Amino acid sequence: MPFRTLMFRALALVALAIVALPGPARAQDALQPALQAFADDLASPSRRTIESVVITLIEQDHPNIGEFLRRYSAREVVQRPEDGLFFYAEDAGALVRLVDIDSGEAVAEVSSRDVTQIRTNSGVQRVIAAALVPLELNAPERERRMAALDAISRSPDASQIAPLAESVERETDASLKTRKERLLLLLQAQFAQDRAVQLSAIAALGGDTSIEARGVLNRLTATVTEVALALPEGANIARVLNVGTDLTEAAAYELLVSAALAEPAQTPAMLREVLAENIVDGRVGGVPVGRLSDPAARIEAYEALEAAGTVPPRAAPDEAAQAVAAHVFFDRYTLDDAEITAAAQAALDSTQQAIAAYQVADLVLDGLSLASIFFLAAIGLAITFGVMGVINMAHGEFIMMGAYTGYVVQLFIPDYTISLLVALPLAFLVTFGAGVAMERSVIRHLYKRPLETLLATFGISIALQQLAKNIFGTQARPLTAPDWLGGALQINDIVGISTIRVAIFVLALIFLALLLYILKRTRLGLEVRAVTQNPGMAASMGINPDRINMLTFGLGSGIAGIAGVAIGLYAQVTSEMGANYIVQSFMTVVVGGVGNVWGTLAGASLIGFLQKGIEWFNPSNTLAAQTYMVLFVILFIQFRPKGIVALRGRAAGD
Amino acid sequence: MTPKTLLSALAASTALVATPLLAQDCAEPIKVGVLHSLSGSMAISETTLRDVMLMLIEQQNAAGGLLGCQIEAVVVDPASDWPLFAELTRQLLTVDEVDVIFGAWTSVSRKSALPVLEELNGLMFYPVQYEGEESSRNVFYTGAAPNQQAIPAVDYFLEELGVESFALLGTDYVYPRTTNAILEAYLLSKGIAAEDIFVNYTPFGHSDWSTIVSDVVALGAGGKQVGVISTINGDANVGFYTELGAQGVSADDIPVVAFSVGEEELSGLDTGPLAGHLAAWNYFMSADTEINAEFVAAWKAFAGENRVTNDPMEAHYIGFNMWVNAVTAAGTTDVDAVREAMWGQEFPNLTGGTAVMGTNHHLSKPVLIGEIRADGQFDIISQTEEVPGDAWTDFLPESSVLTSDWQELGCGMYNTATSTCVQLTSNY
Amino acid sequence: MAKTTLAPKKGFLSENPSVLRFLGLLTVFTLIVTALAEGFGAGVISTSFLKVLGMTLCLCLIAVAMDVVWGYCGILSLGHFAFFGLGGYGIGMWLMYARTEGIVRTSLANAPIPATEGEVRDAIASQIFSVVGSTELPFIWGFAHSLTLQLLLIVLVPGLLALVFGWLAFRSRVTGVYLSILTQAMTLALSLYLFQNDTGLRGNNGLSGLQNIPGLLHLPQSTIALWFFWASALALGLGYLLFAWLVSGKFGSVVRAIRDNENRVRFLGYHVESYKLVVFTATAIVSGIAGALYYPQAGIINPAEIAPITSIYLAVWVAIGGRGRLYGAVIGAATVSLLSSWFTGGGAPNIDLGFYRIVWTDWWLVLLGLGFVAVTLFFPKGIGGLFDYLVRKP
Repeated sequence: MPFRTLMFRALALVALAIVALPGPARAQDALQPALQAFADDLASPSRRTIESVVITLIEQDHPNIGEFLRRYSAREVVQRPEDGLFFYAEDAGALVRLVDIDSGEAVAEVSSRDVTQIRTNSGVQRVIAAALVPLELNAPERERRMAALDAISRSPDASQIAPLAESVERETDASLKTRKERLLLLLQAQFAQDRAVQLSAIAALGGDTSIEARGVLNRLTATVTEVALALPEGANIARVLNVGTDLTEAAAYELLVSAALAEPAQTPAMLREVLAENIVDGRVGGVPVGRLSDPAARIEAYEALEAAGTVPPRAAPDEAAQAVAAHVFFDRYTLDDAEITAAAQAALDSTQQAIAAYQVADLVLDGLSLASIFFLAAIGLAITFGVMGVINMAHGEFIMMGAYTGYVVQLFIPDYTISLLVALPLAFLVTFGAGVAMERSVIRHLYKRPLETLLATFGISIALQQLAKNIFGTQARPLTAPDWLGGALQINDIVGISTIRVAIFVLALIFLALLLYILKRTRLGLEVRAVTQNPGMAASMGINPDRINMLTFGLGSGIAGIAGVAIGLYAQVTSEMGANYIVQSFMTVVVGGVGNVWGTLAGASLIGFLQKGIEWFNPSNTLAAQTYMVLFVILFIQFRPKGIVALRGRAAGD
Repeated sequence: MTPKTLLSALAASTALVATPLLAQDCAEPIKVGVLHSLSGSMAISETTLRDVMLMLIEQQNAAGGLLGCQIEAVVVDPASDWPLFAELTRQLLTVDEVDVIFGAWTSVSRKSALPVLEELNGLMFYPVQYEGEESSRNVFYTGAAPNQQAIPAVDYFLEELGVESFALLGTDYVYPRTTNAILEAYLLSKGIAAEDIFVNYTPFGHSDWSTIVSDVVALGAGGKQVGVISTINGDANVGFYTELGAQGVSADDIPVVAFSVGEEELSGLDTGPLAGHLAAWNYFMSADTEINAEFVAAWKAFAGENRVTNDPMEAHYIGFNMWVNAVTAAGTTDVDAVREAMWGQEFPNLTGGTAVMGTNHHLSKPVLIGEIRADGQFDIISQTEEVPGDAWTDFLPESSVLTSDWQELGCGMYNTATSTCVQLTSNY
Repeated sequence: MAKTTLAPKKGFLSENPSVLRFLGLLTVFTLIVTALAEGFGAGVISTSFLKVLGMTLCLCLIAVAMDVVWGYCGILSLGHFAFFGLGGYGIGMWLMYARTEGIVRTSLANAPIPATEGEVRDAIASQIFSVVGSTELPFIWGFAHSLTLQLLLIVLVPGLLALVFGWLAFRSRVTGVYLSILTQAMTLALSLYLFQNDTGLRGNNGLSGLQNIPGLLHLPQSTIALWFFWASALALGLGYLLFAWLVSGKFGSVVRAIRDNENRVRFLGYHVESYKLVVFTATAIVSGIAGALYYPQAGIINPAEIAPITSIYLAVWVAIGGRGRLYGAVIGAATVSLLSSWFTGGGAPNIDLGFYRIVWTDWWLVLLGLGFVAVTLFFPKGIGGLFDYLVRKP
């Protein structure tokens, strides 16, 4: 059996590499008895206990141990409660087929309730993967080698350096080889025995902005805050903390207390308790209990008790300050080797500027993405508003309609790429039709009463929303992006953006260009602009405003439909999704200035970047960012009532 | 609320009378109020609970009813409108004169109904995991308290996954707020530094997750294992998990444990990007026991082949059966008698073991942690013994001195430091 | 005209018989409801329905205010529910604080040592805010201990907000649709602000248990509900009278002229902004009072109450009822909200079409939406206009 001998050799190597312990490496005949020795730990595995078991098992060097651990990790092992024996489990319809671990033969088929499935959690899986690393690093399959490398990066350990270094040379796959070299560098920076190797590895990580590298450096430079009467000799001090600037006096005192260098300060609750214990005949230290609702009386009572010697003296008011002043507070590196920590700190510092620059770049990308989403959602509204002076409250529902069109198309066309290609034009057609129908049946009659179009379209909006609920239910529906849109464009570990957002950005650019072309270069655009500027005059020049209004409305609604598909791809499709965007879209239009593509672009950019900017200042509260953004919009309109790009025309008002 | 639904109290009740089984000598049937939203934003979750109540009542009637009487369900629709919960509770108790109410989902809706329940001495069973810090005389909490869901899940992160840096992401409302406050205190007590705890709140239905997920990924630069505790509610989860998938964050690198994502929420979703992430509950549909197989089969027969079961449904199952047994033991549906008979009631869990109703009105239940599978079900990877529900958490200084014991102390908010009952009503 | 405004009592009422008629009807309605109520009379009307009626009266009051600002002054405000909500929060803070204070003092009374005021405040704070994971009393609760101060705030906060917002907006000549969107942004900003926990008003949870009135805890809810019903009816009557008087005199004429053509009024030498500001602020204050009466009956207030959509619904009520006539607003608010609950509450019989069953809970909003479009298209004057037409025809 050549495979067996190969395994045997590999395992012998493994055992040596991992434990480097002299001992009788002796192959046993059967694995089951070896497993039974650890039956309890194996049956209910925990990250804390499994490691020693796995190491001992590998030490025992049984030929089947590698396969067993892999299948054990993959939750394919069950235990039979009657005799405690372990089996591999295979799916056999309604039943479970038990396979003997040693012979590989099917033993029985039982109900899943008659055996206990051992479900290793991912912490245990990680431990097993790490233990198997030396063996798997040279596995014939590329995936297994890859998994071994992942295991190293997840649980790095000094013992991995030797096998990894050894396997680098044997590696044939170029990309894996690079990865192995890099992991080796990371391991050496942390664990190398040879100081020169470690220092050079740390130096090599300088300027590296990847999370992995920074993680290693940050681990090396981890500090703890401590307090002492004087700076300890020989300790690797990162910095001395200044009370008042680096930490507050209260925090400093707390450190003192937790280091048992000071007594906890007496809190009002403690004072109260002490007084309660010393009530004598309705009085505490001569002060009637009834008066003790006054804090000053409480102190008076305590001082009386103090004078009588019943309680320990109160801390002087400046005692805390004195105690803090008498001590020195400092951050100490957890690593004692000053040379290493200095090198790591230097390497880390060299990345600071690059990281800041990348963070800004990432913020800009996020802002751009948000702006493009707002632009897509609002541009249709801006057109109808600008050309016709009509506020379409049902615009959000057109967005929703587009998204549901995408969802329905996916139900019929299972290939996500094709369904997306079908969905985009179809969504445009559906919402174009809906928009034209709405314009013809309702809005046409209300041109003289623009405020009432707002209310009538609101009526349509609630009807459409409820209709969507009746048809599709209240649950969010998935609109799945094709795989090629599923990933992210990762420039490095800091700057990155999901592909779907890039696609939305491109879509927004396409529509920007398309609209500009239509408005500036086509007959329709000329007529639209004419109607926007002066409908009466346009009509007398032979332009049919009715037709223009209808087409503009259709166009605006159609773009909303496309926006719906785009938004549905990265978020969720619900009947209320339109309502979530409508107010934001209004603000985009109003801030940007009505009836102008550039204005909408400016409005969307302003709102998108502003929101991301505020979020950046206060990352833990997204709601606050939205609140301040709306407040900003309110104030902005006060000072530029016609928006960033003001336009003369019907919508611009009297 | 929306003003349009304001007056649903008008005539919101629909009586569903089961077919009379036996000629009984009771004057009128025993009435069970079902107070779950059938419209509005919470309908998605709560409609299922209405259905499970109807199924349980039908089963009980088929088994001969209760005290020789038929049980009649009085179903009302509070329409996800919080004030309406108060109005309809009043209507159920005074106009329909129900003997017990099963209902509410969000904490806000429970807090809305509470004052009415306490004023009119009603009885309600609340089936959803919640933030604790409450023990009403008139409510039995059959969902998990924080120590039955959140704390064990964090322990699992600490012990089994070795997580050292925590991101607590939540929707901005009371349950995540209180739970995260408790968890923060708990993590600090476990030696996790304050700077290793990242907290973020997002609005309901939030969709712009890219920055937040980037922030979470960036936590890894600290060189510590990062884990996410998610109290994100409802629809917002879709965008969140999609973004996790897009940024290539696997459950092996940054595990996410969710407290509000169950089978019902996963059904009809693309669970591909979610696989491997975790959820903590007291029940999973995949629990491999005979009693659960029966329950699932009955549910599918009642509601449809594609329907799934979830944790709050089990809570109603246990709650209703305990109530039936308590009424039988007390021989009456009188609220005070039933309450006393409820203390110490035992009923088998669907996941094995026995649930016991404590005198603090919380159940003792096992805690389960499941890994999301691609098919929308959960692999149960950890199951504890039964844990008694703790109304007042031990990890916040103000509530660590509080305890609830309606049997011995007759108080749901008892200060053990001063040995006084803070109040007999609840905070709402 | 000037004489009328100076002596409004006699001339004003005799010139506006509809006001008297309305007040008469309101009195009769209140008396009938009282006679049928559980807490006082026959018990035909349950306490929960009585609360519903009381709340409807409050909604009618804010609808009247909305009618003045929109129907008479031409400002389509999509943010008046913000003021309504602020009034609710104003009274809610006192109700919560005072009730909690009662509980805290009772529980601390048993302590061996009497509590200091600071300890009482801390205990109250931890009672109120423990549900949102906090124990400190935010500074905006500084007045919550005093009913008088808090009642003052109910008038002042909505009034000041409206004054500042209106001054900014009218000064910049923001009009028409822009103004509508601006008011909508205002209520959105406010609701987002209140949704935040850091605001100190318990975020999404809002303030609850407001139906328990401190000091009156011994009274049954049936009595308290009746009192609030009377208070709501009184507020509606007074509010109606105030606005009817405001829009009837010379002031009213100017306001209506502003609606019809703002620039002409300005050219005539009127300071248009001041008139608009007075109308906007007065209606905001009345909305705040309506809210302060509404929420103790509802029992709970949270930020969802002032989401932009609620204010749009307010505009819908007024439009359906008929703009520019105060009773129209009352008819609209009462009809739509009562119909709404009848339909969504399952009161309306479902229609079986054989192939499809129309369940009104699901289809009511569709009906309302389309009905609303129809009203806008075909009956621009609303139900009130129809009413006028029927009354005047013979």
